[in-house]
Amino acid sequence: MLAYTLRRIAQAVPILLLVSLISFGIMQLVPGDPAAVLAGPNATPDELVHLRQTLGLDKSLLTQIMIFYGNLFQGDLGYSIILGEPVLKVVIERSPISISLAIYSLILTIVFGLFIGVVAAMKHNRWIDQVAMAFALIGVSVPNFWLGLVMIVLFSVHLGWLPTGGYVPFFEDPIGWFLAATMPALSLALMQIGLLARLTRSTMLEVLGQDYIRTARAKGASEPRVIIKHAMSNVLIPVVTVLGMILSVLLSGSVIVETIFAVPGIGALLGNAILGRDYPMIQGGLIFVAAVLLILNIAVDVLYAWLDPRVRVQ
Amino acid sequence: MTSLEMNDTRSEPSFLRRFMGGRRVRRLLRHRSFMIGLWLCLFVTVIAVLAPVLSPVDPNKMAIRSRFQPPSLDFLLGTDNLGRDLFSRVAWGARLSLAIGLGVVLLNAVFGVLLGALAGYFRRLDGILMRLSDALMAFPSVLLAIGIAAAMGASAMTAVISLAVVYIPRTARILRASVMQVTELEFVNAARAAGAGDLHILRRHILPNCMAPLVVQLSFVFAYAILSEAVLSFLGLGAAPTDPSWGIMISEGRSYIREAPWMTVIPGMAIAITVLGLNLLGDGLRDVLDPRVKMEH
Amino acid sequence: MTHRNSKNRLRGLLVAGAMAMAAGPAYAELCGNVGGDLVLGMEAKLGTLDQHVNAANATRNVAMNIFETLMTRDENMAPILDLADSLDVSDDKLTYTFKLRSGVKFHNGKPLTSADVAASFDRYSRIGVDRSALGSVDHWETPDGATFKIVLKEPQASFLESISASTVPIVVVPTEQASAEATRLEPIGTGPFQLEEFVADSHVKLKRYEDYKPNETLESMSGFAGRKQACVDTVTFRTLAEPGARLAALETGEVDIVEDVPTLSKERIAGNKDIVQTQLKHAALWLTYPNLSEPPTDNLKVRQAIQAALNLDEIMDAMSDGSYSLNPSFQFPGQLYYSEAGSQYYNQNDPEKAKALLKEAGYDGEPVRLLTTRDIPRLYTAAVVMSEQMKAAGLNAELVVLDWPTALGMSVNETKGWNFFYTGWITVTAQGGAQSLRNLADPSNVHKPKDNKSDPQFMERFNVLSTSPDLDERKAAFAKAQERVFEEVMAIPFGVTPKNQATRANVKGYVPFFNTRVSNIWLAE
Repeated sequence: MLAYTLRRIAQAVPILLLVSLISFGIMQLVPGDPAAVLAGPNATPDELVHLRQTLGLDKSLLTQIMIFYGNLFQGDLGYSIILGEPVLKVVIERSPISISLAIYSLILTIVFGLFIGVVAAMKHNRWIDQVAMAFALIGVSVPNFWLGLVMIVLFSVHLGWLPTGGYVPFFEDPIGWFLAATMPALSLALMQIGLLARLTRSTMLEVLGQDYIRTARAKGASEPRVIIKHAMSNVLIPVVTVLGMILSVLLSGSVIVETIFAVPGIGALLGNAILGRDYPMIQGGLIFVAAVLLILNIAVDVLYAWLDPRVRVQ
Repeated sequence: MTSLEMNDTRSEPSFLRRFMGGRRVRRLLRHRSFMIGLWLCLFVTVIAVLAPVLSPVDPNKMAIRSRFQPPSLDFLLGTDNLGRDLFSRVAWGARLSLAIGLGVVLLNAVFGVLLGALAGYFRRLDGILMRLSDALMAFPSVLLAIGIAAAMGASAMTAVISLAVVYIPRTARILRASVMQVTELEFVNAARAAGAGDLHILRRHILPNCMAPLVVQLSFVFAYAILSEAVLSFLGLGAAPTDPSWGIMISEGRSYIREAPWMTVIPGMAIAITVLGLNLLGDGLRDVLDPRVKMEH
Repeated sequence: MTHRNSKNRLRGLLVAGAMAMAAGPAYAELCGNVGGDLVLGMEAKLGTLDQHVNAANATRNVAMNIFETLMTRDENMAPILDLADSLDVSDDKLTYTFKLRSGVKFHNGKPLTSADVAASFDRYSRIGVDRSALGSVDHWETPDGATFKIVLKEPQASFLESISASTVPIVVVPTEQASAEATRLEPIGTGPFQLEEFVADSHVKLKRYEDYKPNETLESMSGFAGRKQACVDTVTFRTLAEPGARLAALETGEVDIVEDVPTLSKERIAGNKDIVQTQLKHAALWLTYPNLSEPPTDNLKVRQAIQAALNLDEIMDAMSDGSYSLNPSFQFPGQLYYSEAGSQYYNQNDPEKAKALLKEAGYDGEPVRLLTTRDIPRLYTAAVVMSEQMKAAGLNAELVVLDWPTALGMSVNETKGWNFFYTGWITVTAQGGAQSLRNLADPSNVHKPKDNKSDPQFMERFNVLSTSPDLDERKAAFAKAQERVFEEVMAIPFGVTPKNQATRANVKGYVPFFNTRVSNIWLAE
């Protein structure tokens, strides 16, 4: 088990290196630069050249790469050009916001996804099943940013139930956090709920058709007992594997949802960094996010290996 | 799923022929969600193909005087802030969305198969290819697409390429897994023993047996591509801004969401209907062709 | 501008201030109520608060409540002293001696001295975006802690206009910040508000600086200067990028002031008695300028043809949803230099004339590339409508739509690949006079003339405009320079849009300006 975990972690290092090289390469191809963003439309070419120098943007690609990795090995991700703050500090400030949002939508996903999936499987081919699956299908078909816009109009403007966006730290004001985070979490979760519900239903149907379930039923076990004790434990294995995937989608797929709801998370941060050509922010931020996602995936794989020992051998 | 059925198809090299016609097609035609999906997709395709005929006016024709018209008999789906006819724009948008989706699917089919087959069959390449795909997949997909799109400038081609880069590693992985599975099977060993070369085995024996998961995956890639293209275009990085793209229409409409909600709602519905159709189609294909695959990302 | 080199006028202001002081502690009257959190819904994302290197409007909206300057612009955009209470200009016009106001303290508690001012000018001349404003300076010195002296190499009539320019103001920061690298300035100023919390993409929170020393030479605020008082305890600038969400937040009371009300929504919220609408009538001049180095816009006849083809009413109507005024000038109406010279070339809407000119020019369908961005919807709309009008006149107009940093970089750095660029001038126009035409003059030349030399006739008039000591002469020069811009089609002004804003009804004392000011605003019970 430990050997497996260590092996997975060792594999992650070259991947991170690749991630950062790829992002460096892409950003070098992106035209426009942060100096132009800062200096505004009325700056002269001379002023722009000067600002580029003061920002260190005139150095050669190789020099920039050397400086970046030199700093990286000292645990320094550099300074954001647009925000003027250390990248690491900003990333650490913003991460909890995205993470709390991701956890909220993960909870929504698990609760609703499992519930809908199990109910649909138990009432297989009846109207409840049809309705549940229709809902799940709509969930995976509706663009989440569009849903966000529509929800703002509906829940904030017309009904006045929820704030239009923003973020309230959980530990300062849990209720405020809950109100502000509900719409973004829901827009993020809807597609994942649909996916999980569909997966749960099909796995459940498969499990319910297995011999040991029939045996349990034949022995007179009550239906809830069959579902909970025998079926669910088998459904959980594939569910755990997709949860890692879902969580990484929730963490990274939040660029647009965070932008629409003015949530200052890591997605909005990096999306804006790309649009503003904030090279150090993009570099440092991506490495950080990729590292988090990799660790998460490793954790899921290890969990999976623990649940299903056959995997370890592979 | 029955194990009998699976072995049956796996050991039959002329799978492709049977895939194209006969029993499976009949089963698909009886599959309810497949048929609903098929009709929805046909509906969208017909609109896309006939856009030049169906559109009452040029989708980019401005008429400032008749801006912000709600849906009515004169303007079937209303007009936008520049007085452009939304019906025409949605119809032409269908063209663009389907074209981009198709482009992504084609690139996925070609490179996904190529890389997946290489990694799955030639185990020595596996390490490198899989680490590369790990790295690409470790990127948050939207950010990767935004980065590529920013580098190349907004155009339909950019959208196709950046989305292809996002989805190819995923397709390649699925293909790799099936190639690895099929390679273990008896008839492959038999072919190898009979002195067949690697390429021959791959082409004639292995790949035809990996088509089912590939087709299923591609149908979902199509759906995701259309959703993601809308995201990119919404952010100004997808289709060229002059194109009537659904994502761009939503982005333009959101400034007027209170006074002219149809500008936002209608293109959103268009996306949802198309993606729904593709998802239903994919569900049907999966049920009939490849009951093992349960979920793709 | 009127008192550009007249110490008497500035002394006069001082006297007025002294009289106001004699009338009693006036600033308490500035606040009808004290306390509360004022929340503003802002349109644009905010970057670094380093005001020396950031030209963004969004930055000034916040930063100019934290920082103050030696000189700035008043409500009518004339130069005015702020951290100094007197200025002496030597007879040879080479030495400018500022006496600093006493009792001013930075947010870190240290008193303001001339060393801080010198350090700020040092930093600005090193990295400031608009450091050419200090180009004619020989050196500065600090004879004592309250005196700051600038010595010029040669007399420059527009020197005070330059150092009081408000696009990228020379804000005064503490000495130890002089060496701060670009974008990493710590936001410590002398203003009525100090920074409490800055979360980019979300919000900035300011709180009252209790030891603030108001400028009592004026009765109230004027521009960024004058008597300011923090009436509210805290101010929160919230970034709400979605226009729908922004207004909704005002309607539900989540925010107290919104920076921008969509034209379409004005009517609907007019019926809401909890909301008061305000307007700055002339807030931005929208325009396009051609690239004089790239065919076919290197050909004057082609440019004139395009100028003749345009229906500016339609362009402005489309880009503003109907809230605009036509404006055949590079000044806003009511400004000192406003002139309609050359207006016969403005808004001609004559496609036939355009076609004739094109024939004369020998135009044979070369593409005319309109470089714009969707990040600023108005610029995009202007280009789209303009391209349609150009096509109707027989021009092969092509849109080149890039994201803002790319489009901007291209227009500044490249002389190839584009023929027209679109922009909006806010402070450039508002500052008036030479500043308003500076972008078309050497060495700025946004319109990329051949060899980076602007039209000689224009430059001759521009030089009079920027150096003549006589106001009437300068005004005449402005009119003639503007006429030349129209004749040569160096830029095409479209028109002016107002800034439509709205506040909750309990917000008192809010006066719209080119940038948001949060002093002297209070929340009624």
